[in-house]
Amino acid sequence: MPQTNPFEILFALETTLGASWPQFHAAHERTLKLCEDLDSSTSASQDADASIVTFGSVGRFEVTDASDIDWVLLIDGQADLAHQRRVLDIAGAVDRLMKKKVGQEGTFGKMAFSHDLVQYIGGGEDTNANFTRRMLLLLESRPIGRRGAYDAVLPVILERYLTGDHGWIRGRALHGVPRFLLNDIVRYWRTIAVDYAYKQWTRDNRGWALRSAKLRLSRKLIYTSGLLYCLGFIDHEWAADQKVAQTDRKIQGIDRLQSLCALTPLDLLADAFMKSTGLSDSASRVFGAYDAFLEILSDDSQRKHLENLDADAADGDELWNHVRDLGNTFQDGLNALFLDHPENKFPELIRKYGVF
Amino acid sequence: MWPIGFSTGALFKEFIAKGVEFSRELKLRSVELSALRLRELPNLIDFVNRHDLSAFSYVSLHAPTDFSPEQEADVARQLLAVALKKRWFVVVHPDCIRDVEVWKPFGEWLCIENMDKRKPVGRTVGELDAIFAILPKAKLCFDIAHARQVDTSMTEAYRILNRFRDRICQVHMSEVTSTSKHDRISDAAVRSFREVLTRIPNVPIILESPVTPESAVSELEQASRVFAQTTAKTPV
Repeated sequence: MPQTNPFEILFALETTLGASWPQFHAAHERTLKLCEDLDSSTSASQDADASIVTFGSVGRFEVTDASDIDWVLLIDGQADLAHQRRVLDIAGAVDRLMKKKVGQEGTFGKMAFSHDLVQYIGGGEDTNANFTRRMLLLLESRPIGRRGAYDAVLPVILERYLTGDHGWIRGRALHGVPRFLLNDIVRYWRTIAVDYAYKQWTRDNRGWALRSAKLRLSRKLIYTSGLLYCLGFIDHEWAADQKVAQTDRKIQGIDRLQSLCALTPLDLLADAFMKSTGLSDSASRVFGAYDAFLEILSDDSQRKHLENLDADAADGDELWNHVRDLGNTFQDGLNALFLDHPENKFPELIRKYGVF
Repeated sequence: MWPIGFSTGALFKEFIAKGVEFSRELKLRSVELSALRLRELPNLIDFVNRHDLSAFSYVSLHAPTDFSPEQEADVARQLLAVALKKRWFVVVHPDCIRDVEVWKPFGEWLCIENMDKRKPVGRTVGELDAIFAILPKAKLCFDIAHARQVDTSMTEAYRILNRFRDRICQVHMSEVTSTSKHDRISDAAVRSFREVLTRIPNVPIILESPVTPESAVSELEQASRVFAQTTAKTPV
């Protein structure tokens, strides 16, 4: 599978724009260190059939001092009783490295099986956990150490989406947009937005402001990544050329999507801005806002303030209003890229695929 | 036209002479002489020095995979003599190469095989790139079953074929199980292999499927199905 250096494109954009985004550099350094520590402390739990896969801030390369580690042991091989021992060992290693526990929904810190991720797309067996793991594998994942299972499973998930898309595999999709994959990515974005409301309800509003901030920025960022995966086929004639053999289209499609999955969401977005002339100001504002968001997450007092903010006090809260402004600035930049830019094809594609 | 033959190890394990004789009986034009275990190497060397294999249009050797670092130079020396004299490729597993200097004299007669998922090197384009960077003249034995085991969508196989097509001097074909054992080629494997067929260069196909004399012909027929419709009749 293609390998890339995280934030290579992002830092190139920073240089091009003459911008300064210190939080990205700090996050990059912290994530590299954390990944090295995780690798060395879990090496005994890695093998050819099982990869430790991280998600969330580790997957996006946006680790702050307050980050938790969402992970699964992705298994693509023989049934083995020793897998549970490995899960416990990895959990112990993660606990020693981080102060926080993994998420409360039971999606992470467990085994995940390749067959479920590949075979159960949609339908009753595609549980919230299975769906979340599959989407995050595509949108913000990073294997730690031996990556054989990760590299084996990811292309097969993509194969399922592309071969299961009757129009796309035959070259009939307008501009090569893989609608099956796009629909699942849109479903995921709407699901996490709905789950935000569910968590407000079930947790009596505790932590709502921090979750809202993440929804407005980091969650929206990974949805944007997914859009870019799907809309980017417009630049590849083979994707919508019916004369191309289905097998060739499938393999080239997987190859392309897998190379995009290897990029961080910020790199993918930076790449889109770099290719869209005339959006320098929007790019500066989008990434400036995100950098400022990471600064808030990195600051213990500001983070705690958001975690404990009462919903009724939000309107008059200076930090919360700042977070809202950052979210709005981020959204405005995405609008400029996807909806308003006269030269790229995103507005046409969003009109065709984005709503109906 | 992809001439198909067997590895002698797939036919009769360490009994090279029986494998060669059986290949002759089947009128196969390609054969790989296999000495996967170091203890088989003396017999292999002795065999090639005493027998005329000119009836075959293609002969390759498969190096042992169980030698120690201390034995590496001697193994390479013995194989090099045959390779240069006969102008045969020597297939080597990249994880067996510890001292690259002893393999450099093979030049283009060294044939690196892409590996299954349990090996730490040589599985992907990136890992093969690193090997060919230090052995730039070496060829590639494209093991399509290993590539399929690493990625059943055949995308890694596609990448390897795209990147190293000009290096490929032979193809290994079989089924490889999730525990990395060679097996007979299933219909699912035939379908997978066909997905990258147009990118496979016209080189000998060496079957590594473990077969009995009774099942060898049906395995040849199964392998031929990979190439059906591409050639009117695939020679065996």
